[in-house]
Amino acid sequence: MSAFLARRVLQAVAVVLLVTLIVFGLLRLGPGSDRAQLVGTGAAHSAFLLQYLSWLGQVLHGNLGFSTTPAEPVTTLLANALPRTLVLTGLSTLIALLVAIPAGIVQAVRRSTATDHAIRTLTYIWYGMPSFVLGYVLILIFALHLHWFGPEGPQDSGIGGVLTDWQDLTLPVLTLSLATIAIFARYMRSAAADSLDEEYVEAARARGAGERRVLLRHVLRNSLVPVVTLLGLSIPQILGGALIVESLFNFPGMGWQIWQAALNHNLPVVLGFTLVIGVGAAIGSLLADIGYALLDPRVRYQRA
Amino acid sequence: MLRALKRGRRMRRRGLVAGVALAGLALLVAACGPVSAGTADSVGTTPVSGGVATYATEPGLNVSYIFPFETGSNFNVSNTNEFQYLLYRPLYWFGEGTEPYLDPALSLASPPVYNGQQVTISLKNYRWSNGQPVTAQDVMFWINMQIADGNNDWGGQVAGDFPFDITDAHAVGSTEVTMTVTKAYSQDWFTDNELSQITPMPAAWDRTAAGASSCDTTPADCTAVYNYLASTAGSMSAWAKSPIWSIVDGPWRVQRTTSAGWVYLTYNNRYSGPAAAHHISEFVIVPFTTEEAEFNVLQDPQGNSRIDVGYLPTVDAPVPAPGSTNGGNPVTLGDYKLSVVYPWELSYAVYNYTDSTAGPIFRQLYFRQAFQSLVDQEGIIDGPMHGYGKPVIGPVASYPVTKYLSPQVEAAGDQWELNLSNAKSLLTAHGWSVVPNGVDTCVNAGTGPTQCGAGIKAGTALNLSMIYAAGVDYMYSATKELVSNASLVGIKITATEQPFDTVVGTVFGCTSACSTWQLAEWGSWTYSPDYLPTGEELFEPSSADDVGFYTNAHNDTLIGKTLDARSTAAFDSAMYAWQNYLANQLPVIYEPNAATLIESVNNLHIGVQAPTLNINPEDWYYLK
Repeated sequence: MSAFLARRVLQAVAVVLLVTLIVFGLLRLGPGSDRAQLVGTGAAHSAFLLQYLSWLGQVLHGNLGFSTTPAEPVTTLLANALPRTLVLTGLSTLIALLVAIPAGIVQAVRRSTATDHAIRTLTYIWYGMPSFVLGYVLILIFALHLHWFGPEGPQDSGIGGVLTDWQDLTLPVLTLSLATIAIFARYMRSAAADSLDEEYVEAARARGAGERRVLLRHVLRNSLVPVVTLLGLSIPQILGGALIVESLFNFPGMGWQIWQAALNHNLPVVLGFTLVIGVGAAIGSLLADIGYALLDPRVRYQRA
Repeated sequence: MLRALKRGRRMRRRGLVAGVALAGLALLVAACGPVSAGTADSVGTTPVSGGVATYATEPGLNVSYIFPFETGSNFNVSNTNEFQYLLYRPLYWFGEGTEPYLDPALSLASPPVYNGQQVTISLKNYRWSNGQPVTAQDVMFWINMQIADGNNDWGGQVAGDFPFDITDAHAVGSTEVTMTVTKAYSQDWFTDNELSQITPMPAAWDRTAAGASSCDTTPADCTAVYNYLASTAGSMSAWAKSPIWSIVDGPWRVQRTTSAGWVYLTYNNRYSGPAAAHHISEFVIVPFTTEEAEFNVLQDPQGNSRIDVGYLPTVDAPVPAPGSTNGGNPVTLGDYKLSVVYPWELSYAVYNYTDSTAGPIFRQLYFRQAFQSLVDQEGIIDGPMHGYGKPVIGPVASYPVTKYLSPQVEAAGDQWELNLSNAKSLLTAHGWSVVPNGVDTCVNAGTGPTQCGAGIKAGTALNLSMIYAAGVDYMYSATKELVSNASLVGIKITATEQPFDTVVGTVFGCTSACSTWQLAEWGSWTYSPDYLPTGEELFEPSSADDVGFYTNAHNDTLIGKTLDARSTAAFDSAMYAWQNYLANQLPVIYEPNAATLIESVNNLHIGVQAPTLNINPEDWYYLK
């Protein structure tokens, strides 16, 4: 396991360095003022490698550059946007998992029954609806018609305030969750269905294990592998935010900031945020691999 | 000030996709029954003091910069009119009722006194919140900074104009500034377009990180001061406790800000200007991502994030009845009242007169007349603008009605209404082979009265390109209609939608003759902080804002006469003569001006909103 871990960590470091190299290359192609701001005027005309190392040194010291509008360090904008996004996308992913995993297992256990068809139909509808349509529907029904929830996301600046403002947090989280549930549930159903047909499940039953034990100990663990992979791959989305939902619910986070920065040619912000998301993606991929190995020991033996 | 940002607030992010989505939701909404209008608060008639008013900014335009001496990237309505002017009063306040005129009552100084080429500014008895008076040195602080950094860092700078059209400026004691202008300009023009830019700055700002400086007396010191102030002006979280930004002479000061972009202002109890008997005590500026998000919150007045004053997207506004200027609210906004404000602006699309291919065509008056005949201003107003628009009929806005508008131009109205046959006739009469739904070509090259015109070769095709700002519904519709109308007379236009900044960057990026664009539209030009629409900024080739490089010697002469007019009568006469001439020269493509639709809760009195877009929440009060 340790050899496997070391190998994956080294790969992740290489990917992160590649991401920084790409981001720096893009930055270097940008306007001179952006370049000089990050690598310094003295280094602006030096060799690419020296510029890169100089910039990397600043990045490691937390200097991702300075935004033009608003006129703040990129790290400040990141510190404002990232927690809000993590609450929104992280919570919605968590809820999606909590719903999709049992739903997928239920579908697998009751394959081709009315329950399976009903869940599948419902999740397909959620998956098929663009988030702005789904969000509008939820706002119209639950905010403007029934007045159960607010039509915009929490406006509190603190994470605690955001998390406790459940009335305003519900609809944006629900909008993202519903679409994600469909994806996770589909994978879960497929994997659980495969597991249920495996001989070790039959063997467990033959040994007298109850259905509950079979599902939780044998089916669930083995069926989680593709879901964990999917979860790892969704890390960039979790970090990158959800532009449509953020704009629809007036909840500016990472997605909204990058979009605005791109429109305003605010290169330091675009690249700074991209760097963070890229690094997050590499880490997410690493965590997925580790989770994969933990769930399925064959993986670590094969790859190590 | 470019106003496309303002336009962007209303329409920028309302794409067609969202529109289709909404249309598709109609059945769902219908199934849910009508959306509740909410319970309107019982509105009394007794003004009360105190209370909080929550003000929604233009979607996508957050308050982000506090230093009033700002570059173009920060120079927008949200930062300037809706925020900085509440804290730091400009020397002269513009916007008097529904007119964009100087309001002496809200100005820090008495109207300037002119004596030959000498201008004297006498300050009133305003005080900063730290107890210091607003002095002549504070005015000199701004002027010197504009001398030192205006060309690089002041978003309102016009090349060659103030303060480069004065030879001397100095403080006389603590309450008087005198300056000598390079020649005897029109007094109205100098006040409204030159002195209007000044915002006095307190002595406490005259410093760098190293300590106190002396920009108020030494322009050479100003760049370092500017750099220091600019370096802290974008840090919102530090505004409230900043020893610099907390010193205000306006009626409001920053109490706190949030990382979500909310700005809480509290009434400055040391405000030394005219104070209303009753007023709100807190003013909260709230950012919004999109119009849709803001409209949703407006429709939910019982929610956590109630808006007291916000904007109604034009596409959501009921169309006014014939003869009416206000169509009232959508049924979902029962708790609000609607105010219709026509900003002091001019909307147009621009010709690039220097484009190597299209430039010679655009320089032909007959072509511009033909092209203007393809613009259906009334159709745009009645259609995508939902009735909330006014046609542009010349180089001065026709609405709000001002003394600046030539009676002759006003009486003539839109002389170039949609008329395809007129366009076709003009082209045919000037040597073009008109091929409806095809591409016209010049078949009679030359400079004669029936020929295509100077610089246009035989075989030249009317094949044009256009860039326009994305996200503005009516601009999108108007452009599509223009392309369609043009094709009917054989003018092929390839129109490309681009982000606002890209359009502006492309157009303003041409500082000399260029062929990177042919036709462009980004929105409108707002007369602020140059409030007098005398035309030197937009239509004189020496101005950086004459982006299409329109050149017309007679026009320049007429503008010169306006700026040099020494009496009101002479000024009016010269200004009218200029408009009467230029209106029919069609230097740009006239497009209708759109209204701003302001919603305010029924029990909040906000008075009349000025077309300059300056706001006075210190005069707002609740009724019980």
